[in-house]
Amino acid sequence: MYYYIFENPKTPTQRTFFEKLRDIAREFGIAGEITQASPARSPEELTKMALEKNFNTIVAIGNDLHVNRVAAEIVRQNTQFQVALGIISTDPESMLYERWGFKKPEDACETLKFRKLERFDVGLVEPDHYFLTSVKIECKRPSRISLEVDHWKADAVVDRVEISGNLYILLERFYREQSTLKQAMGWLVGKSNVSADRSVFKGKMIRISSSEPQSVLIDTQEITKTPISIYRKPNALNIITRRDRIIKDLHS
Amino acid sequence: MKQQVGTIVGSSVHLTGAIKDASDIQIFGSVEGEVSSDQKIIIEESAYVKGPINASEVIVSGRVNGTINAKERIELNPTGSIKGNVDTQNLLIHSGATFIGKSVMPEKNAEGDSGKDFDFEKEVETETEEEVDLEKEKEEQDK
Repeated sequence: MYYYIFENPKTPTQRTFFEKLRDIAREFGIAGEITQASPARSPEELTKMALEKNFNTIVAIGNDLHVNRVAAEIVRQNTQFQVALGIISTDPESMLYERWGFKKPEDACETLKFRKLERFDVGLVEPDHYFLTSVKIECKRPSRISLEVDHWKADAVVDRVEISGNLYILLERFYREQSTLKQAMGWLVGKSNVSADRSVFKGKMIRISSSEPQSVLIDTQEITKTPISIYRKPNALNIITRRDRIIKDLHS
Repeated sequence: MKQQVGTIVGSSVHLTGAIKDASDIQIFGSVEGEVSSDQKIIIEESAYVKGPINASEVIVSGRVNGTINAKERIELNPTGSIKGNVDTQNLLIHSGATFIGKSVMPEKNAEGDSGKDFDFEKEVETETEEEVDLEKEKEEQDK
């Protein structure tokens, strides 16, 4: 049985999409219990209720933050039975949209009906903040941070840090063009005046500390401040993914 | 965040310890410790590495203080400098580069002369003019 957790719709277009999705789900024979998050009922509470009712397929419909909150609660509850998470991402600018974004509600329902499962890693920020997408540290001004990863340590001055669920680490330092003349030239030729110095690492365990406490965000939600420890929980979530498409013969 | 393959050490990063990656490693900053990759390691112009490097291919445009072991090839660009021994099959040093150390290459065991060792210390016997004159005198006396 399917348990749908919709995000509180923000626009009339989103409301229409959600209504259409409900109707089409019924047509596809995957109708189930439909709930909607609100200030009174958080996505975490709704997920907990679904698990208490022994639903084995929970579908999160909304932006990255909403989906992340549902996913984190499923991992946190660690149920005896296997739970599948269905995702319908509604924000085309988001990280999840690339994989779980659907232009038509029919495509989304078809994917949910086929129920092809894949196991995914999730990240854990101690003590119990799980994330499917990424953790970010966005500094107001360049700040010195220290990273301890597996067998090495690093010191760096950064503007931004992003760590994905499978513990890819991205450090970014931005440099703005100082010369006004070069800025003007860049503007004329459509070239950006900001260049970035990027570092990319991989790890299994990360500890981040900074010269001054920095806010740690999961999507837009602040969860804690540095120092933090992050781990990877391998194969923690069963997620419904798109069916593989058969590529048509080029000659046909 | 889009996942990129490999490790990149940015120019504002100072790293201590051993880094290992199955794919390429590109270094712009400084690293103190062992750097290992199953594929390529690129030491950029702004980079400094103090420690052993192990990879299939190593391209050096920055400074390296340590041994380099590359299964396939090492390329030392004009801006590059290596202080340490290198062990590889192919070594390419561009004009302007600095290399202080010993190079070890595996002997080629291919068929033919290429595998034969050449003894540079073997003295080549030559006859001086005086020796030639003495020989001529001896021949005349015998006649």
